[in-house]
Amino acid sequence: MNYIGRRLVRAILLLIGVSALCFLLTEMAPGSFFDEMRLNPQISPQTIAALRSRYGLDQPLIVRYGRWMKSALHADLGYSIAYSTPVTPLLWSRAKNTLLLTTTALLLTWMIAVPLGVWTAARRGGLLDKTVSLASAFFVSVPELVIAVALLAIVVRWRILPVGGMVSADFEVFSAGAKLQDVILHLALPVSILVLCETAVIVRHVRASVLEVLGARYIEVARGFGTSPTRLLFRHVLPVAANPAVSLLGFSLAGLLSGSLMVEMVCGWPGLGPLLLEATLSRDLYLVIGGIIFSALFMVGGNFVADVMLLALDPRIRRDGDGDRADAS
Amino acid sequence: MRAKTAILVAVLVGLHLVLLSAGFFAPYDPTTQDRELPYAPPTRLHFEDDSGFHLRPFVYAWTSVLDGNYSGSYEEDRSHEYPVHFVVQGPRYKLFGVFETNVHWFGAIEPGRVLLFGTDGYGRDEFSRVLFGGQISVAAGLTATFIALLTGSVLGIIAGYYGRWVDETLMGVTELFLSLPWLYFLLGVRAFLPLHLSTLRTFFLLTGVIGLIGWARPARLVRGLVLSSRNRNYVLAARGFGGSDVYLLRRHILPETFGVLLTQAALLVPKYIAAEVTLSFFGLGVSEPVPSWGNMLSTLQQYSVLISYGWLWAPACAVIVTSVLYSYLADVLHSQLKSHST
Amino acid sequence: MKLIRLTLHVCLLTGACFAAAPVPDAAKPGEELARMADVSGHYGGHLTIGQRSEPKTLNPVTVTDAVSREVIGRLMGDLIEINRSTQQTEPALAKSWKISPDGRAFTLQLRKGIRFSDGHLFDADDVVFSFSVYMDEAVDSPQRDLLIIDGKPMVVTKLDQYTVQFVLPRPYAAAERLFDGLAMLPKHLLEKQYRDGHFAQAWSLNVQPAEIAGLGPFRLKQYVPGQRIVVERNPYYWKVDRENQRLPYLDELVFLFVGSEDAQVMRFEAGETDIVSRLSAENYNLLSREKSHAGSQLADMGPSLEYNFLLFNLNDLSGKKLDQVARKQAWFRDLRFRQAISAAVDRDSIVRLVYGARGAALWGNVGPGNKLWINQNIPHPPRSVETARQILKSAGYSWNSAGQLLDAAGRPVEFSVITSSSNSQRMKMATLLQDDLSHLGMQIHVVPLEFRAMIDRVFQSFDYDAAVMGLGGGDADPNPEMNVWASAGTSHLWHLGEVQPASDWERELDQLMQQQMVTLDYAKRKQLYDRAQELIAQNLPFIFLGTPNILAGADSRVGNFHPAVLDPYTLWNADELYVRGPAQESAGVR
Repeated sequence: MNYIGRRLVRAILLLIGVSALCFLLTEMAPGSFFDEMRLNPQISPQTIAALRSRYGLDQPLIVRYGRWMKSALHADLGYSIAYSTPVTPLLWSRAKNTLLLTTTALLLTWMIAVPLGVWTAARRGGLLDKTVSLASAFFVSVPELVIAVALLAIVVRWRILPVGGMVSADFEVFSAGAKLQDVILHLALPVSILVLCETAVIVRHVRASVLEVLGARYIEVARGFGTSPTRLLFRHVLPVAANPAVSLLGFSLAGLLSGSLMVEMVCGWPGLGPLLLEATLSRDLYLVIGGIIFSALFMVGGNFVADVMLLALDPRIRRDGDGDRADAS
Repeated sequence: MRAKTAILVAVLVGLHLVLLSAGFFAPYDPTTQDRELPYAPPTRLHFEDDSGFHLRPFVYAWTSVLDGNYSGSYEEDRSHEYPVHFVVQGPRYKLFGVFETNVHWFGAIEPGRVLLFGTDGYGRDEFSRVLFGGQISVAAGLTATFIALLTGSVLGIIAGYYGRWVDETLMGVTELFLSLPWLYFLLGVRAFLPLHLSTLRTFFLLTGVIGLIGWARPARLVRGLVLSSRNRNYVLAARGFGGSDVYLLRRHILPETFGVLLTQAALLVPKYIAAEVTLSFFGLGVSEPVPSWGNMLSTLQQYSVLISYGWLWAPACAVIVTSVLYSYLADVLHSQLKSHST
Repeated sequence: MKLIRLTLHVCLLTGACFAAAPVPDAAKPGEELARMADVSGHYGGHLTIGQRSEPKTLNPVTVTDAVSREVIGRLMGDLIEINRSTQQTEPALAKSWKISPDGRAFTLQLRKGIRFSDGHLFDADDVVFSFSVYMDEAVDSPQRDLLIIDGKPMVVTKLDQYTVQFVLPRPYAAAERLFDGLAMLPKHLLEKQYRDGHFAQAWSLNVQPAEIAGLGPFRLKQYVPGQRIVVERNPYYWKVDRENQRLPYLDELVFLFVGSEDAQVMRFEAGETDIVSRLSAENYNLLSREKSHAGSQLADMGPSLEYNFLLFNLNDLSGKKLDQVARKQAWFRDLRFRQAISAAVDRDSIVRLVYGARGAALWGNVGPGNKLWINQNIPHPPRSVETARQILKSAGYSWNSAGQLLDAAGRPVEFSVITSSSNSQRMKMATLLQDDLSHLGMQIHVVPLEFRAMIDRVFQSFDYDAAVMGLGGGDADPNPEMNVWASAGTSHLWHLGEVQPASDWERELDQLMQQQMVTLDYAKRKQLYDRAQELIAQNLPFIFLGTPNILAGADSRVGNFHPAVLDPYTLWNADELYVRGPAQESAGVR
């Protein structure tokens, strides 16, 4: 399978490239983890220097990269200076929380956006179409940050939902049902923000691609033959409109780990975002690099899945041998 | 349809003109602090007083009421009325950065202050700051868009035209850029900026960085276009009778891209404005005392400000209005493009 | 929200019978307990406190961040404690101590019969073990430097099972204050890891509760990554209250990882946390206005010990390629230049606008919050731009037609001020300063830098003109500040790496600080330190700006809430906190 093989090679090269760039960029950012201790008049520079060399922070870049690469091949992404624990389990425990958030948002988004997009395309010009167009234009234009802060203010002011964290303080003593309800309540705010922003984007794309197909000759012909609208929709329109949609899905999958960073920060969701941000600011080197590789993995994986799905869905790609994902603009 | 487009374009142009001549439309200097008036609410415009209805609105001055908690709240001082005049003399400024003048669109005689959007934590007029902040934020959006589109087009054309392995490498690099750890990059760049850079140069550097990070999408688009038009009949014919690469690009392929690029521009500008807003919100973009919509919104990170001082949301409204206008423009351009190409 | 919370509490009370918090152990014969004669309350309940970020470790030896220390401090016990309310030392695990006449040898008597939270007995072996870990070079504990005086370590000897002797290389004033914060480690749990060389990995957050034990009022119950740490009552805690009931009163203490201060306030308002420490003035005023918090205990403890200042780069820049900065140092080095700036700073506005009027202006390094050590005779001149202009004129500066300040060579005075972008208060101060100094014709650029980037410039590259920073707040005693004022000190920020004192007043300051460090009599020390403060205020190595008040809040049901000016502001007496409310039978002593 040449197509898949080439994509795989590209994915691996990408990961290596990202890791190299990471190391380079972290070199650029001045300061190291132990700098905060310099401000404390009671800690001597010798201690700080000793701690630096203990964690290998005074080694040249190439040496550190080499050692990291070797251990990365064994799935050991290094050691977090701040937490004094290996990076991988730390990342994984947080990635789970982020994935909970983003997968829920992803499912909801697509469950809402696809039918909505198809419907408004089919009933073009109608009241629903106009309302949805207006709303989606609004939510696409407004920066996600503004929506996040606005929703946060509303929720806090009127005490609608709990803010911050994934569960309440007394979580352990809840019954199973109450636990579920508690998580859902905490999920509501960040998921709403994500869904609002992403649905708007996807609805417009779905609508546009369906409209494009609806205007095609062969649809007119099929309609002329008396094909029922349902059959028309499912046999002729959707499969063609699927190509750009699958690319979009690929982008969504790719962003599963990294797309919610800002929302997590604003809402206090204990995911990968706040962990990585703090690690970046405190120069907890291997945690940051590990986190970026994690996200890059998802990104590459998502794109890869999209490519495979496209291959399966779109016979044109199979025929041409070198398909290109239609670009989402 | 035509009328709608015309109105839309007119509104957008008008908005940009207002922002460009912010000095005239803003009644006060955006950096002048008034330490007696932090977090003052918007002054109310009154038309009626004891002597009846006036056509010309007037305002009262704010005096702070200090209760035992030091929580400055304000009430109107009804002893003096300050009528609002139009085309008045006020603080000196440079229109368009060139002409020195002191004429403002509206204002009141000192010590009356017309604070349409209230004041921020330093007592600076929020309305003026929104106008001047708009200069920075919109300029950031436009500049970054320009850089992104320029870089993206050049690279996309090269990839699309010369094809195969050039293409593969470039596309691989775009994927790399899309996975970049932006935060570190920005931190690194920020830390390397010499302290003695003027705000202007910091601004350009920042927009340069944002723009350069964003060249990937336009590049792919342009590449796709070039790929498809490369094999069109007329292009093949032109090549057949000896047209050079440059000629082909200039006469036949590039014009195809203009429409798409324009639409892309209209789409990207609000995205880059949003990028500037987000970065400045987190302190990584434009910094004090230069106002930008982003760093003005960053005070909303404080809980007390978030729920007590609603007028400080003004920059958010400004961002929304601008973004929606640009989105509509993009839509209009897109549908025009479609109708032309079919 | 309130309804949900009420329901939860009912569940908790009923569930408490089953998910039982440890019941205080009955007093054993021969156990020497510490009686807190003015503490009373009743048992039961739990309190939740929000933390600004996540703790990173539970290891008291390697801990570097304040958030982790907040948790660790509740689990561990010290030989001598500093009572945060009185700021004086009190016996803790050491019931008494004798100081030798030359002030170098401390002989501490330990309480007998005390147990760790796992029931194991505590004695001098644990003390000797703990100190050997702290001072071990291979462990690299940040607290090691506290125990090294003049480059020589403290010598710790066990005299008998309950007596330990500490010999300092030379007399050190208020040496007993050193013991606060040095947790006593259980030898029976940690010795093996220490001998194996894996001490740094000990007691990470994932440690099993059975493997960690301390002499503090609480012991670890549960850690949920990214969310919270729950600690439960230590049944063997060695303090009792007025009625000889063993402390602590609380069944559990929950540390919730909340995030920024604003997020903390939001959660406190929503009733999810019971205690919030270090509020900003705006949030404090907000909370006092909200009716839903009528009855909340909001405490304004007065000015803190922290001091914020404008720092000028007076480092020796020869050998570094920093010509622009070097040229400006000609201005910074002139004392009159700094005096003019100090005269032009609007400290009142800083207190009003940055600290919401809940703060104090500073003209020296010791503020009104430090009642024991403040020199009351330091002048506090009010702001005067006129005076500043006079001083500048006499120093050879002039103004051009545009109002710009020019130095004697005709160059406009322009410089940049760096500050940490994550500290909004200091950023605000810098912006206010910018405006203040523009009245003198100076052009200031405020450059917010990411925290570590700023530290790098101030400590390493010296590539900066001026900075707004803050120091202090650790302890009221002058000794922890030695490194700031001693000319060879590592925190001598304005001129790092001095081999010799660069000026006469710095020489005198060195001598004063050295002397006060070895003078044991408080009155004499105060005299010396007063003179030191005078020198600092006159010579302005820092231009002092202001300090915030310590503001804290607790729910109305928190009993014995006594926040203090020293860290940890609200939890220093966690063993005395209790939950008021509908009458709860005390859990009783088995």
